[in-house]
Amino acid sequence: MKMADGSTILRRNRPGTKAKDFCRWPDEPLEEMDSTLAVQQYIQQLIKRDPSNVELILTMPEAQDEGVWKYEHLRQFCMELNGLAVRLQKECSPATCTQMTATDQWIFLCAAHKTPKECPAIDYTRHTLDGAACLLNSNKYFPSRVSIKESSVTKLGSVCRRVYRIFSHAYFHHRRIFDEFEAETYLCHRFTHFVTKYNLMSKENLIVPINVGENAAPGESEA
Amino acid sequence: MGTNSGATAGINNKPVGGGAGAGVLGGVNSSIGGVLSNSLGGGGGGGSGGLSISGLNAGGQNANVGGLVTGMGNVGDDSNNGMAGGGGPNNQQATTPQYTIPGILHFIQHEWSRFELERSQWDVDRAELQARIAMLLGERKCLESLKSDLTRRIKMLEYALRQERAKFYRLKYGTDPPQLNEFKPSNEDASLAGEVATDSEVPYSSVSNTTWRQGRQMLRQYLAEIGYTDNIIDVRSNRVRSILGLNNNAEHDGSGGGLGGLGGGTGGTGTGTGGENLNPNINGNESNKRASETEGRHTPAKKVQQSIDEIIVDTEAAVMANFEFLGPNEMSDDDEISDDLEMVATDNDDTDVKMAKRAKSGKDMLTEDLEAEVGEQLLNEMNLMNEEVDGSLGLGELAQLTVNNESDGAYDTNSKDGTGGSAGGAGYRKTWNAKYTLRSHFDGVRSLIFHPEEPVLITASEDHTLKLWNLQKTVQAKKSASLDVEPLYTFRAHTGPVLCLGMSPSGETCYSGGLDGNIECWQLPSPNIDPYDCYEPNVHSGTLEGHTDAVWGLTTMQSNIVSCSADGTVKLWSPFNKEPLLRTYSASEAEGAPSSVDFVRNEVDHIVVAYNSAHCIVYDTETGKQVVRLEAAQEMSGNTGKFINKVVSHPTLPITITAHEDRHIRFWDNTSGTLIHSMVAHLEPVTSLAVDAHGLYLLSGSHDCSIRLWNLDNKTCVQEITAHRKKFDESIFDVAFHATKPYIASAGADGLAKVFV
Repeated sequence: MKMADGSTILRRNRPGTKAKDFCRWPDEPLEEMDSTLAVQQYIQQLIKRDPSNVELILTMPEAQDEGVWKYEHLRQFCMELNGLAVRLQKECSPATCTQMTATDQWIFLCAAHKTPKECPAIDYTRHTLDGAACLLNSNKYFPSRVSIKESSVTKLGSVCRRVYRIFSHAYFHHRRIFDEFEAETYLCHRFTHFVTKYNLMSKENLIVPINVGENAAPGESEA
Repeated sequence: MGTNSGATAGINNKPVGGGAGAGVLGGVNSSIGGVLSNSLGGGGGGGSGGLSISGLNAGGQNANVGGLVTGMGNVGDDSNNGMAGGGGPNNQQATTPQYTIPGILHFIQHEWSRFELERSQWDVDRAELQARIAMLLGERKCLESLKSDLTRRIKMLEYALRQERAKFYRLKYGTDPPQLNEFKPSNEDASLAGEVATDSEVPYSSVSNTTWRQGRQMLRQYLAEIGYTDNIIDVRSNRVRSILGLNNNAEHDGSGGGLGGLGGGTGGTGTGTGGENLNPNINGNESNKRASETEGRHTPAKKVQQSIDEIIVDTEAAVMANFEFLGPNEMSDDDEISDDLEMVATDNDDTDVKMAKRAKSGKDMLTEDLEAEVGEQLLNEMNLMNEEVDGSLGLGELAQLTVNNESDGAYDTNSKDGTGGSAGGAGYRKTWNAKYTLRSHFDGVRSLIFHPEEPVLITASEDHTLKLWNLQKTVQAKKSASLDVEPLYTFRAHTGPVLCLGMSPSGETCYSGGLDGNIECWQLPSPNIDPYDCYEPNVHSGTLEGHTDAVWGLTTMQSNIVSCSADGTVKLWSPFNKEPLLRTYSASEAEGAPSSVDFVRNEVDHIVVAYNSAHCIVYDTETGKQVVRLEAAQEMSGNTGKFINKVVSHPTLPITITAHEDRHIRFWDNTSGTLIHSMVAHLEPVTSLAVDAHGLYLLSGSHDCSIRLWNLDNKTCVQEITAHRKKFDESIFDVAFHATKPYIASAGADGLAKVFV
């Protein structure tokens, strides 16, 4: 369905495409992508091929601008975290989770408001994702997706810290949802790997124990 | 026998014989006169009059000769033949070898008459040739004046150009250009001499203007002196007009006649043997008047004249230099002739004092008249040229204006339609410009839909979310004319990309279909909601489950929605029923999956569904039966490229519009199912279509990154906007019109949505 006649492959999801065929097209090498969104295309292509292959997904191609690489990965994380938020919406209500907590050690205040606020967990989740979406799409900080200002790269760390709390809240309070989601997407796994690899978060903040899987990520992150 | 009878007549009846002799000569003469009158007197009454008189004169002379001959006949009675012809003397010599006094006398007389005859013939020939010279001269004058006219025209055009440049300069810099030579032809022409005398500091162009005008004036004086006056001017102007293509044939013929008449007139004066004094014709009259007029002009302006003299010499030189192309021989001829003619004219002045006086009485008026006439003519010509220049310039602007007007009108109507009149006043010169950029989605925006009334829209993205935007809540972006809008609300329920959107006519409810096969129903939050308000679970008011694969098409009609899915079915829903699913429509396997669906807007209970087979099928929603199949056999040879990406129904007409993978937009007649129109609309597949609420304009989006606005009336593209970037091979996913406000929007694979105003 995606394949046009002969040699040219048109990577399009035409209306009527079945869900299983969505984005199912032959991989395109990054160097052949002439789009300004090549990095996003490349990352999504890697995830689509095998979401569990965290190492490969996070392997930055040569001659790739690191700022853009991190930025595009963070966009992808925030985007996929929507899936976790959707699941949490069904279970996590202001009645059950009045505060954004992971362990009992911290109560996280929602930074989306003028004065940080003790939002219920679900609001915190939504606000954090919405705020991240606004920041990462901000014309002021990220006007371009092919080059990122150094000053804006520092913003990525705080976004990482905030969205990580969604993982931790889900892990500690909605473990079933977390596990289902993680089994499907390997998202927390990839995220932990990502922030560790690029030093975006301090290790003591990575409180979700990553399952010792085939990728041996925890060992590496602790190493 | 004829000679015999002539001889007898000559012998018997002297007067008759004399008459016969005169008749012979007169006959020759009259025939020559006929030639003359034919060649010269074609049109001008005066010319023909002059000729006839000269002919009469010649006749008179010949008559005298004839009288002598007859007298001879009387004397030589014995000479049997009595021949008036050349044979007479021979016969006499043959019969009588000695010279007799009467014989000698007869011979001398005969010879004399012969010489006379020849002389008169030469005269006639000379007159003819002089008439021809005059004609050629007239033509030359015509050409000269034509040339000067053209020179003037060039000057005019230069002037117009200068004016245009000045105007341009003024428009560009807001001030008058530093050196602007005002060129006022009428004034200068009217008060020519005085201005030349006083104007010592006129700029060069002006000087050249006046010099050539002086030369022109001189020429006119010469012309006046030789009798070329108004007629020649008429001829000239006629020539000019004919050259400019303004003349009709009748006028041209008239001018030719005038020319002939003029030639005749000059011929009459040129012969100068005796007829000219008696010439009561108009030309002579006018030349007299003209001569006296020029004299009259010279007297009061003597002072000026003297001061001008040098200039005139220069002018002459310049003019002659201008007329170099005529060749030196002709020039000298011309000088001679004009001298001659001048003399003649002065003769006229001297001899025809009466006439001159009579003319002088009306001289001033005539001068003024002539002056006025000439001035007027010049003015008219100037105006004509001005008009031509202005006209052409004006037309250029006008042409542009009309084009602009058309497009203006189009946009105007469009904006009026879009606003329902509210922005109609501001709609003039409106083109759609990107104003709002909606940046918040992490991935391609698959669909967008406007609120029916508010400046609010909802976008659906492959990042699994929908976002609500209020265009009145904006943040001014730095260094950019466009405004950034932050989303007010993010709708999260889909577990995969959201592919399509629908909105209830009231604008309270929104529906979204996703790759997960669900249709989610949303109650729209207030457009003034705080983006970071508490989570309100009631916004998500339900899920319509039934499709087993991606929902690709969704559209609403009153409280019903119809959806199409990759599972091959089209479903009709009534979301607020206990059992929301009303009906399912399935086509044969051959049609493939439906790709897009729309309600037929002018026919209740009909829906049109586009299938992967590139066919559209109109269903009756009540019976579930196929009503019409939209297909064109000749068009459908090889369906592969004709995949339909989007189908929309015209809001008022029974027309279905389809956007195809083969870059076409096609228009179908719903009643007959036939193809009405097919056009290549984009450089790449057309992905999306939207028709404005009044059905006048069509908006199309394509993977070539551009959206195009089409006039549905004539199917022409009104505007093209490059709006989005590509992700993989996809670019624009959706376009939309606001139903009541002047907004259009596009959604792209680059994760942006743009709103144009």
